[in-house]
Amino acid sequence: MKIKKGPSTIIFNIIAYTLLALGAIVCVIPFLMILSGSFTDNHTILTQGYSLLPRDITVSAYKTIFKAPQDILHAYKMTIFYTGLGTFLGLMMITLTAYVISRKEFKYRNNISFLIYFTSIFGGGTIPWYLMYSSVLGLKGSTIAIWFPALMSPFLVILMRTFIVGSVPDAITESAKIDGAGHVTIFLRIVMPVLGPGLATIGLFLALGYWNDWYRSSMFSTDSSTWELQFYLYDLLNASTAIKQMSQNSGMATVELPTQSVKLAMAVVATGPVLAFYPFVQKYFVSGITVGAVKG
Amino acid sequence: MKNGKKLLSLLLAGSMAVSLAACGSDDSASTYAPADTTPADTTTEVAATDTSAEEETTEAPAAAELDTSERVDLVFYVMGDAPADEQVVEDAINEKLLEKLNATVDFQFSTWTDFQQKYSLELTSGGADLIYVANWLNYGQLAASGAFVELDDILNTYTPELRDLVGEENLNMCSVNGSIYAVPNASPEYVSSGIKYREDLRKQFDLPVPDSIEHMEEYFLGIKENMPNQGILTSTTEESTGFQVAFDAAWCLGIKHPWVAANGLPYGLAAMYDTPNQVFDYWFSDEFVEDMNLMKKWADYGFWSKSALSDSNNSDSYKNGLCVAEPQGQNPAKYITSVSDFEKAGEGWESAYLAYGEVTGIIYPAHATQNATAVVRGCKNPERALAVVQYLMCDEEMNKLVQCGIEGTHYTINDEGFYEAVEDTKFGYEGFSTWNLRNDQYKLFTENDVLKNEIFDKLMKIGEKTKFLNTDIYSGFTENFDDYAAERTAVSNVMRQYLAPLQAGLVDDVDAAVAEFRDKVTAAGLEKVREGFTAQWEAYCDEYGYK
Repeated sequence: MKIKKGPSTIIFNIIAYTLLALGAIVCVIPFLMILSGSFTDNHTILTQGYSLLPRDITVSAYKTIFKAPQDILHAYKMTIFYTGLGTFLGLMMITLTAYVISRKEFKYRNNISFLIYFTSIFGGGTIPWYLMYSSVLGLKGSTIAIWFPALMSPFLVILMRTFIVGSVPDAITESAKIDGAGHVTIFLRIVMPVLGPGLATIGLFLALGYWNDWYRSSMFSTDSSTWELQFYLYDLLNASTAIKQMSQNSGMATVELPTQSVKLAMAVVATGPVLAFYPFVQKYFVSGITVGAVKG
Repeated sequence: MKNGKKLLSLLLAGSMAVSLAACGSDDSASTYAPADTTPADTTTEVAATDTSAEEETTEAPAAAELDTSERVDLVFYVMGDAPADEQVVEDAINEKLLEKLNATVDFQFSTWTDFQQKYSLELTSGGADLIYVANWLNYGQLAASGAFVELDDILNTYTPELRDLVGEENLNMCSVNGSIYAVPNASPEYVSSGIKYREDLRKQFDLPVPDSIEHMEEYFLGIKENMPNQGILTSTTEESTGFQVAFDAAWCLGIKHPWVAANGLPYGLAAMYDTPNQVFDYWFSDEFVEDMNLMKKWADYGFWSKSALSDSNNSDSYKNGLCVAEPQGQNPAKYITSVSDFEKAGEGWESAYLAYGEVTGIIYPAHATQNATAVVRGCKNPERALAVVQYLMCDEEMNKLVQCGIEGTHYTINDEGFYEAVEDTKFGYEGFSTWNLRNDQYKLFTENDVLKNEIFDKLMKIGEKTKFLNTDIYSGFTENFDDYAAERTAVSNVMRQYLAPLQAGLVDDVDAAVAEFRDKVTAAGLEKVREGFTAQWEAYCDEYGYK
């Protein structure tokens, strides 16, 4: 059966689509500029500015990046490693924690939830955080310092708990218990199978967090072989700015700095995989968030 | 339960207050506990000579007193990014260090990302033993708050060679509250700001050398008339973010003022180089109005773009011929880079450089605290650490190794005796960013250095005639603005909003704009800021005898 649309609905749709289209254009244009700039000759960018379509098309910027690709490829490899390991371990720990604090028979669940929640309001701050990892745990320079600190976040644990409470009715677990199932069986055979959207959402949150992170490399890496991709690129840009400023004070020999088009090409190289990956997970992403929200 | 809620809300309110307070002061130096109070001079302990060091070190009398029986692994924190061959060069260094001082050194790099924050964290956590210090990394404030070890006794007892190399004057410039906390490099460097301009165009159109405001105008105007489409200056606000100027072209005015710093003191104050402790006002003077009228005239001539205030800075514009001169943020080293850039471009362009000080007669090398080494407070073996610094700086072979890498692998010496990096070298010139270990005696010169030395010689002769003999007074000063941080920020905002258009000449009525700027900056709390600054500045001049 088809519902006939009234004129108000049509007008609403027109307005909504126009606004959304405008929003989309605003989001897409900068990226197009980056893409076209990365294919434009550097001198043209300097003299004529950026444009939507590339002029004087050249791939020299990409040639520069991939002339010595081992560094950037290594950074890619490290980021994939951190993202894979961090997302897997993170999901495991978050789901297990969330399951435990969602069980009604666990007497101290509210106290533990409170403790977890508490840390999201009262953080120690950067300095204690840094001292903890570098001096107390002595992880400075180790790759553990890069993936470990982001394994769990209070927000994600609470989200997962809400999700479990919402999608697994007590009656089911209770009946399983009567049938003789222990916690391990209940978790693996009853809870896990319905957690699909939840796992996808939280997995995506974690993975994006790992993929986009540069701060922990900045803080804890002592060797460029442990750098994350984003930090590698970010540092390349920072180095050129810093060297420029430094040469103002101390007479430092100015080295070859990355040109505009190389910077843009780097941005394309760094965002590429996420762009390709995102559309496929997006549907879980959206449904996951709403499921958690409604049942809250 | 009710009590719990009350407690929670109390905690919430408390945490907000704490975080607000934390945002208010970003003075990282205040986080240092005065650390352990173990005295730095352990002279008496080590006085008993150790026999195990005898065979190796008989030729170095200073090191003979040092107990080197136990191996010490030092961490040396430096700025910038690690070179690809960090490990190779470190291994070579450590081989020698182990033999001579039974110590190793591991260079750790700040990278250029968030380096200010990481630098203070490094000091707080005490992970490093030796550290690069500089005035732009708040050396003065950090030293005063006890982040470093006092070096006076160690220098005299264990490393006299280092002390003599650097010289007492330079060491005194690094002293804070009467103690020396850092060892500067042995390589005076002139970073005098000036104007870099296209010499070929000057010759072509027979224009004067821009050695005064009038000649600058003639030079710019001459090019503008002959080449209407050629950009003159690509001035923006980006090189002028401090409290002295707000627009790049205003650096030109430096050519007429024999002030203590190129663009005057912050907050519109100024002082003559010869009488640095006599601070006077610039923003409220008639000269300021005159200067702003000049900038307006230049803007009307079209020396810079009408959108200059919102343009972003393009550091390659001179290199690519988009402008014919750069009056902001220049120094001899940058000029030399431009000479070789033009040579590479091969379009027959020529670059020339005029330091403002050549006209005003005020020239000085960079302050000693520009590049220096300090021992971090938590270091367990400050004597050995300093002995390592002495070895790195005073030994010819070692100094070349740490600054340039391994000969043959990373660089070669060409027929004329100049340093030449090998192609795709994995350890560039000063690859460890150890500008603090420079020693001119053993420095390997590059071809560019010939030109640089010529300029330095010329500038040094002028510097010798100044009242304080080649002394950079302003850069040794560290300001503590905790008491007027809010007003200071307000003044900065007014400068960006009202002073920048004024100095860029992009106003209709200069007098009205000057009046408005003065009103706004006074309302922002300029008086309080100036009072706070002047008191500290005068105290500084007093302490070091600049009067």
